[in-house]
Amino acid sequence: MKCRFYILLTVAFAIIGQNLFAQENNQPNPQSVARISGSLESNINFFFEDTLIGATNTPQYDRQLYGADTWLQLNYSQYGFDIGVRFDLFNNSNLLNPQGSYTAQGFGRWFIKKKVNKLGISVGYLYDQVGSGLIFRAYEQRPLLIDNALYGARLTYDLSEDWQVKAFTGLQKQQFDTYDTVIKGASLEGFVAGKKEDANWSIAPGIGIVTKTMSDAATNTVVNTIATYSITDSIGAKYNTYAFSAYNTLTAGRFSWYMEAAYKTAEVFFDPFAIKTNRDGSTSPGKLVNRDGTIFYTSMSYAAKGFGISVEGKRTENFTFRTNPFVSLNRGMINFLPPMTRVNTYRLTARYASATQELGELSYQIDARYKASKKLSFNVNFSSSSDLDGLTLYRELFTEVVYKQKRKWTLTGGIQLQNYNQERFETKPGAPIVETVTPYVEFLYKFSRKKSLRLEAQYMSTEEDFGSWLFGLAEMSFAPHWTMTASTMYNISPTKRTNFNDIIYPRFDVFYTVKANRFSLSYVKQVEGIVCSGGICRLEPAFSGVKMSVNSTF
Amino acid sequence: MKKSIVLIVSIILAFSFQSCNENMPVIPCLTCDDGGGPPIPPEARKVVIEEFTGVRCVNCPQGSAEIENLLAVYGEQLIAISLHAGFFSNPYPSQEDFRTEEGTQILDFLGQPLGFPTAVVNRKQFDGEDDLQLGQASWGGYIAQELNTESKFVLDIENDFNSDNFTLDVKVLLTPIEDFTGDVKLTLLITESGIISRQLTPDGDNLDYEHKHMLRKIVTPFDGEAINELLSANQTVEKNYSVDIPLTWNPAKLSIIAFVQDAGATKEIFQADESKIEQ
Repeated sequence: MKCRFYILLTVAFAIIGQNLFAQENNQPNPQSVARISGSLESNINFFFEDTLIGATNTPQYDRQLYGADTWLQLNYSQYGFDIGVRFDLFNNSNLLNPQGSYTAQGFGRWFIKKKVNKLGISVGYLYDQVGSGLIFRAYEQRPLLIDNALYGARLTYDLSEDWQVKAFTGLQKQQFDTYDTVIKGASLEGFVAGKKEDANWSIAPGIGIVTKTMSDAATNTVVNTIATYSITDSIGAKYNTYAFSAYNTLTAGRFSWYMEAAYKTAEVFFDPFAIKTNRDGSTSPGKLVNRDGTIFYTSMSYAAKGFGISVEGKRTENFTFRTNPFVSLNRGMINFLPPMTRVNTYRLTARYASATQELGELSYQIDARYKASKKLSFNVNFSSSSDLDGLTLYRELFTEVVYKQKRKWTLTGGIQLQNYNQERFETKPGAPIVETVTPYVEFLYKFSRKKSLRLEAQYMSTEEDFGSWLFGLAEMSFAPHWTMTASTMYNISPTKRTNFNDIIYPRFDVFYTVKANRFSLSYVKQVEGIVCSGGICRLEPAFSGVKMSVNSTF
Repeated sequence: MKKSIVLIVSIILAFSFQSCNENMPVIPCLTCDDGGGPPIPPEARKVVIEEFTGVRCVNCPQGSAEIENLLAVYGEQLIAISLHAGFFSNPYPSQEDFRTEEGTQILDFLGQPLGFPTAVVNRKQFDGEDDLQLGQASWGGYIAQELNTESKFVLDIENDFNSDNFTLDVKVLLTPIEDFTGDVKLTLLITESGIISRQLTPDGDNLDYEHKHMLRKIVTPFDGEAINELLSANQTVEKNYSVDIPLTWNPAKLSIIAFVQDAGATKEIFQADESKIEQ
């Protein structure tokens, strides 16, 4: 990695040097003006052990006491070149594994991009996607330490103003290394609009193909694993998997319709629910299987004055697409399956969330908004998710009413109803469906243009899991610099399952913003939880300590 | 323009399908014989699988079942150790605590897993893996990979159990096959099988679950005892230990396990041996 970076620096300095020399002799043209930009994100955690809430038994609480994550991105543009490099730092980080500690630092990304007439050239660590990402999405999500950049090359060619073809090949990034599975793909995307003057429609069609080729070593591991299976469970294996998708966005006036269908040829993957026959004749769940997969996704939206509605639907069957069958959770994902439930932001309405099911899911979501007047608006959202056998996994009804009294105050309120299949999502045998009723209210009062107060109150009523919770928050803002927040969460009627009786989970935050810099300091006590997916459980430990962060753009 | 698009689509489709007919890997059937065959020679490679589990770990029994499958396939060449450690290992009320201080230290030493079931094979970080902890799907493949490597040592355990006073004398004989210059450590530990106790399973609580290969005690320091002797080819290094066995343990179900591991840059296990306490 160091060697690659030095080569990059040499190239960059060669370009800069050439430019400086050129500017001494010629008038600079717009493309010759060098531009450097960048961003910094730095998070620092101090861990205070608290055995009462379970903030203990991780290396950070036991002995390290401190952890930090930092990303510094630098971009340089000149003569049509875009060159970027990113320094990543993880010291005693719990992002990669919430129960573990990860320490590594170095150059986590570099890239060079150049447009030569109609040909676009990109090499390095690249973020990109095909369609909505069903067959390929290379992206970064720092809170979960997802960085699926494609380390390779990409070429694009503009066939016309509205049509572009793209091809790429490379390896997926794995922290400061790469997985050894080769990923390659191509797509063709276009745009067609009505030609008549009064035509108000357009389509944006596309097709994509992505293939992965597993390395000999990974394939041998697959083969050696299947070799230990009984004859009834034995399956074949292949080096290559092909995924195809076709997609289109139709826009007609205020109506918009996106649809995408994808198919993946048979490949070996781990199915935690498949029944395996053991040597002694007994059975147990979990084995490698060899199946093809499909996924259909569509979303429609209509917007009129004061009214908007959107409908989404998705059917998934055996569409896990990863670098090899042995990675799980958020590791090695080649594609991205969009969630079909509302992204909730309030603390308690977000406590139970529906995880995307790669192996089988039928889900839909309806979201309607109505603005009755300048003061009053409504939002209703309903989402439902079940497996392919009809078993309900998740249902949510979310309502919201917003009342704005001029620019003085805003009152937001509503109620959320949820059914959450804890047995399936968290692999808790016999756990009943968690049924919650969560009313919430938010009040924003502006004392002046600069000074405002925001209050939140939420109550989650449930007889399942840990029982009912109460949450309150007060936030004072002194624009444009200061924001101070205090909040607390309390298990108001714990069930017998909980260990959290009479424990208050407070949180205090101070944010300071000056120009493009933002600083935060927080004291946090956060309840623990177990997150399971596909038969694999992961503990998200309770947090107790102080968090600091710095964000800057330049 | 239309011709260009048709051409591009044709090229993409041709490119996609041209390599569909690959030579698929041949999958042998290791379960097709009855496990019989000639006895394994002393220098045969043996592999250690350390499974981390807990009585509250709902998915761990399927991992334990997979280890039994692998033991049936690989026989004496696979040595299993189940360590009750980590978040899911807190005992139920009135249940014996299967956790050991050394087990918790080993979990810390080898690294916390991302999820359960999880196991470490020969304490080796395999290519493409983030850490030593491995999900169930890959255990068989990595064990096979390790069994295909050359042994660096011959390791042999001789033990003498006194059933009158429950003392166990153990002699470990370590013989390098070739001159070895690196630093190594020797670990000696005791496991017990046939323990009937409560375990959470996908079907609910199983009060009569049979726990196997459970780590009971590490005789050496948890991360091994340094071998300071010169490791010359065919020169045997002898280590002797004496252990008091608690009366609550069932000698008929106890095994003593020794393994030699890298004490340098990695934690990799080079060779191992297992012996029943009551032969």
